[in-house]
Amino acid sequence: MDEKKAAILGEIPRLRRYARSLVRDRDSADDLVQDCLERALTRLDNWQTGESPRRWLFTIMHHLFIDQMRKVNRRGETAMLPLEAGEGVAQPAEQLEGIASREIIDALQAISPDRRAALVMVAIEGFSYAEAANILGVPAGTLMSRIARGREELRGLLDDTARRRAIRIVEK
Amino acid sequence: MIRRDFSERDIHMALDGELPADERASYDAWLEANPEMKARSARFTADREALRAAFAGVLDEAVPVRLRQVVLGEAPVKAAAPSSRWWLAAAAAVLLATGGFGGYFAGIDGIGQEDPAEDQLAEQAIAAHVIYAAEKRHAVEVPASDKDHLQTWLSNRVGLKLVAPDLTANGFQLVGGRLLPAGESKAAMLLYEDDKGERISLFVTAESTENAKGTYASAQDGPQAVYWLDKGYGCAVVGSLPREQLAVVARSAYGQLMAGLAS
Repeated sequence: MDEKKAAILGEIPRLRRYARSLVRDRDSADDLVQDCLERALTRLDNWQTGESPRRWLFTIMHHLFIDQMRKVNRRGETAMLPLEAGEGVAQPAEQLEGIASREIIDALQAISPDRRAALVMVAIEGFSYAEAANILGVPAGTLMSRIARGREELRGLLDDTARRRAIRIVEK
Repeated sequence: MIRRDFSERDIHMALDGELPADERASYDAWLEANPEMKARSARFTADREALRAAFAGVLDEAVPVRLRQVVLGEAPVKAAAPSSRWWLAAAAAVLLATGGFGGYFAGIDGIGQEDPAEDQLAEQAIAAHVIYAAEKRHAVEVPASDKDHLQTWLSNRVGLKLVAPDLTANGFQLVGGRLLPAGESKAAMLLYEDDKGERISLFVTAESTENAKGTYASAQDGPQAVYWLDKGYGCAVVGSLPREQLAVVARSAYGQLMAGLAS
């Protein structure tokens, strides 16, 4: 196996984690990783020797994700169904998550894809602002405001969840 | 050390390791002097730890074989068109969001793929509603007066244990039901009516392999469908009620349908 492929293989766990934070469902997240790997392999020549494979692969995957989310988003107006998180649709792969994890994962899914990606890049994946801005293809200022807004939105959603839980307990 | 004013922005920078080292001491002093900011910082820090913890396990999971195969060039040659539908799940996940969300997708034509199952379900349900809810005398095949037979018959045909939800708390009485085609399969339609003659319908099919939920309207002022799909069943509630009211009725109907399926 050549070196490049070995380096790419080594990044798969990190790519899967990033994908999972972008797309909740495990199989769907792995589909995203697969799309990313397939694209990467057709562009091995674009990968400069010495460049971090991680940054290169994250950039590819991020573009796949954001392009598709934008396409989906442009498509017409439909209202959000005012249902509570976890109600209705089963999420089988996530059964093992603790309640706290499930709540924060739900909340993360609820914030805008741009903010989610920015926040995850820095808070989970540990990229610096400069690296994250580079991968996401936005100026550092934009990145920072996405992180700040993303964090606030996430906290707001978690507060809402906690409040609803409190109400439900009172109702019982 | 140059003293400067700090702001909330610095909380994020400090948390993300982007605060210059020589500003750290004065930042900490600022935080101590501003309990509100300190509390905010503490919450954000806790959220970050929770986020990391929530996804930490992924790194320890075995890498799926199919992903290794892609890199090692052992994967079977794929069709030219990307078949991955991960983004549909992403879209569905947004619909699962804990908060309110405006503006979501109402159709996927334009990317060269067939309509997703949820659109098909919603469209079929709306079409059935438009045709049959308008019928005064022939709206249903089996009337509510024969409810037991209606439920048994539709359950057998559709292949799901169907219990007609009781929506009287929402002001709706069962009118009856009918059997309908749904793609390659069959669907049950249950029609309800309130005392003003407003009608809503439930559309249930056993054909579904996707997880999704949302609302759908095929025309600007036409009836709306609130739908759920899961592996093994799909369900839509259609009506021209105000959106909130429809959602409340739909939730009640869905809860009872689920309880019925599991009974």
